[in-house]
Amino acid sequence: MNRKKRALLYRLGAVALLIVISAAMLWVGRGHTVYFDNKTLEYEGQSYPSFYRMTVKDGDATVAKLAKRERGMADWMGQHFEMQVEVLTEKGAEPVVYPIKLELPYGMDGIVVNLPGMVAGLPQQAWVSEFIPSEPQGAQEEELPPTEEDLVPTDI
Amino acid sequence: MKKQSQASGAGAVARFLRQNSVPLMFIIICAVLIPISGFSAGYLINEIVTRMGRNIFLILSLLIPITAGMGLNFGMTLGAMAGEIALILVSDWQIWGIPGIVLAMIVSIPISVGLGLLCGKILNMAKGREMVTSYITSFFIGGVYMLVVLYMMGPIIPIAHSSIKLPRGYGIRNTVSLLSMRQSLDNLLAIRVLGVKIPTLTFLIIGLMCLGIVWFGKTKLGQDMRAVGQDIQVARDAGIDVERTRLISIIISTVLAGFGMIIYLQNMGNLSTYSSHTQIGMFCIAALLVGGASVEKASIGNVFLGVILFHLMFIVAPQAGAKITGDSMIGEYFRVFASYGVITIALIMYETRKRKAKLMAGRQLQLAQSEDVK
Amino acid sequence: MSQTEKTLKPVSGFSAFVQNFGLPRLIIAGFLLLLFIAAPFVGSNFFTQLTNTINRFSWNAILVLSMVPMVHSGCGLNFGLPLGIVSGLLGATISMELGFTGGLSFLMAILIATPFALIFGYGYGHLLNRIKGGEMMIATYVGFSAVSFMCIAWLLLPYRSPNMVWGLSGKGLRTTITVEGYYDKILANFLKIEIGSFSIPVGTLLFFALLAFLMWAFLHTKAGTAMTAVGSNPTFARASGINVDKVRLQSVIMSTWLGAVGILVYQQGFGFIQLYMAPFYMALPAISAILIGGASVNKASITNVIIGTFLFQGIVTMTPTVMNNIIRMDMSEVIRVIVSQGMILYALTRKQGGSK
Repeated sequence: MNRKKRALLYRLGAVALLIVISAAMLWVGRGHTVYFDNKTLEYEGQSYPSFYRMTVKDGDATVAKLAKRERGMADWMGQHFEMQVEVLTEKGAEPVVYPIKLELPYGMDGIVVNLPGMVAGLPQQAWVSEFIPSEPQGAQEEELPPTEEDLVPTDI
Repeated sequence: MKKQSQASGAGAVARFLRQNSVPLMFIIICAVLIPISGFSAGYLINEIVTRMGRNIFLILSLLIPITAGMGLNFGMTLGAMAGEIALILVSDWQIWGIPGIVLAMIVSIPISVGLGLLCGKILNMAKGREMVTSYITSFFIGGVYMLVVLYMMGPIIPIAHSSIKLPRGYGIRNTVSLLSMRQSLDNLLAIRVLGVKIPTLTFLIIGLMCLGIVWFGKTKLGQDMRAVGQDIQVARDAGIDVERTRLISIIISTVLAGFGMIIYLQNMGNLSTYSSHTQIGMFCIAALLVGGASVEKASIGNVFLGVILFHLMFIVAPQAGAKITGDSMIGEYFRVFASYGVITIALIMYETRKRKAKLMAGRQLQLAQSEDVK
Repeated sequence: MSQTEKTLKPVSGFSAFVQNFGLPRLIIAGFLLLLFIAAPFVGSNFFTQLTNTINRFSWNAILVLSMVPMVHSGCGLNFGLPLGIVSGLLGATISMELGFTGGLSFLMAILIATPFALIFGYGYGHLLNRIKGGEMMIATYVGFSAVSFMCIAWLLLPYRSPNMVWGLSGKGLRTTITVEGYYDKILANFLKIEIGSFSIPVGTLLFFALLAFLMWAFLHTKAGTAMTAVGSNPTFARASGINVDKVRLQSVIMSTWLGAVGILVYQQGFGFIQLYMAPFYMALPAISAILIGGASVNKASITNVIIGTFLFQGIVTMTPTVMNNIIRMDMSEVIRVIVSQGMILYALTRKQGGSK
């Protein structure tokens, strides 16, 4: 009886461990695509103009170099998003570095960050928005799965 | 089964040839086809290493049911389907990279256990013809898989992303891209040796799995399985719960096949929703047999040798066929034929051996009886 | 109706009926009945449906009939049916290659297929005699090997007829070849009855009836009863002086030949010869049909063939249209797979099936 109880406890423990690991994976592995816009932002009647050049960097690696009205993107796993942006107001100017720190909303796949708005220090809801992809072209063409399986595989 | 003959030199050679006829045949096939195909050694080694990382785990899942005397587990397809369902869900939840793979493995466990339980129960009802039954079971569950993936995913099991959902609003597309976790297991810790990329982590996992199988063979449960595999009646008399032991062996095999399929698909980088699993069981079994395994005996060495030989043939056959006949389809059909052929030969050898053993036992019994009369 | 389960204790009424008939079979029959009842309500013509079902019955019945000899002799369900089909395909293509047309091409196809079926069946039968007890699994893989080997052969054999080879390269057979101008509907149009949208391919049905009758008659000859004896109790059969191996060999050859003729009849109804991987899974629908009809792993009658083929083909033809109309989903493929494989699984897990 005691032995059975212990076996049961071990099993429950294993299941609990797996659940904990899954929860951790769900948290750290959630992937987002973050889009950076170097676009003029209108907010509460005021205009925050785009900059001459913005360079998004993750540590030393350059993620995107954006001229006016350009958009860059980066993949990011987890919720704590952290990168830097180098801002050039005009050609030959001294670059100013700002941190981009953001808690990515779990439910959003694509997140658009308006850099001029962020640099200007506006509240977060002003410069963060959800990216909604347009329906992929030609999506209607895809047929139902084939009824006969592909019996001669090309690769395994 | 054991021949009483004196092991003279020629006899030993003949026996060696007979016992290893299938691997030897494939060595000859490869030796002929490789020069014709004209592939460079570097290319072939690279391909073989990739395919070892991709397939070995799947094939390892076949070993335990063989120990338990249940033959080649065609029901490993069930595990593959569980792995696929887990991957579809995880890619819809947008969990990427290694966390995605780990999560998919965890999600596949309950599905695999459920399917393995079902398969094991069915096989316990069909003792003596496990193989054909597990083979039909894989088709049957294939139908259920289609029901789940093609009709229930969307309305019943929520699927959010239109990139994996069919345009009609329910069901999963023919291919699901696994780009976000593609080769993330293989690339972590990967090293290059003389231009060959070695997926160290994947091999590490495979190595651990091999150790695990060896360890499992030494546990009480592993010993029970071997006993059940040798003789069900004797095992039952020794107080082993035969049905339960067989059930567990199938469940373990199914779970491992699920993991194997996830490793396989993360390397491939995309999932053919309705066909990835259909052939995988057959090719894994063929590879294992090419490595010199039989229906009642298989080792880890067979798995490694089999993967190398079988995939070497698989890579070079189309090219060699095209060079000989000018039609690449010939080579593709040839490798399919070779796969089925080798399974057929292995099954025939197994059944004839079984029959011979039975006859021999009968004769000995007769002999013993006649001596008793004297 | 043949018994599917030996009832040890007498049970009365409905439960006895269910036991005799088999629960899955009852569900399938009920399902088909439901489909027929539902058909007019969802706007599909009852007679069109019935015509389709009868048509498909006529194409497939002989393939299902080819299961009978091997089941009788105890070789189990003929998972190696593709071997017979391959012989039929050889007959069909060679007959067309030699330039026969019309009804003659059908006759010649059968005649040419016969030696192939006999040779393949002979080798296959000998093989199955060596591996008694493991027939079904090996039969499956013999079939697969034969089909994939023939894939290579279809590409390499020196066929020249422009109606059959790839147009561009002028060699290698096409994946589907039309039998138009050869034996398209040659049996179906013979004595065909047509009343409005309702039509019966009497010729094909008669041809099936002829073969079924011959099979029935054979099973009542001395050789036929010997076959049944071998199947039901090989030890007893051997003791009473029957050459078990020879009888089994006979049954395998018969099954293989019927498979060859069966695929030719299928082609004349369907209108096309399907080569390469097409015969691969053709054994499974035939097997599940005869099982649905009440056969088991070691018992099968002509009645099982007729009932089973009708039920199976009924479901195959009815589900797409009816289901589509009711729930706006074409679930026919899924239903077909689950019903047919489930039926085979049910038969394999029956206790009294002997050791196969």
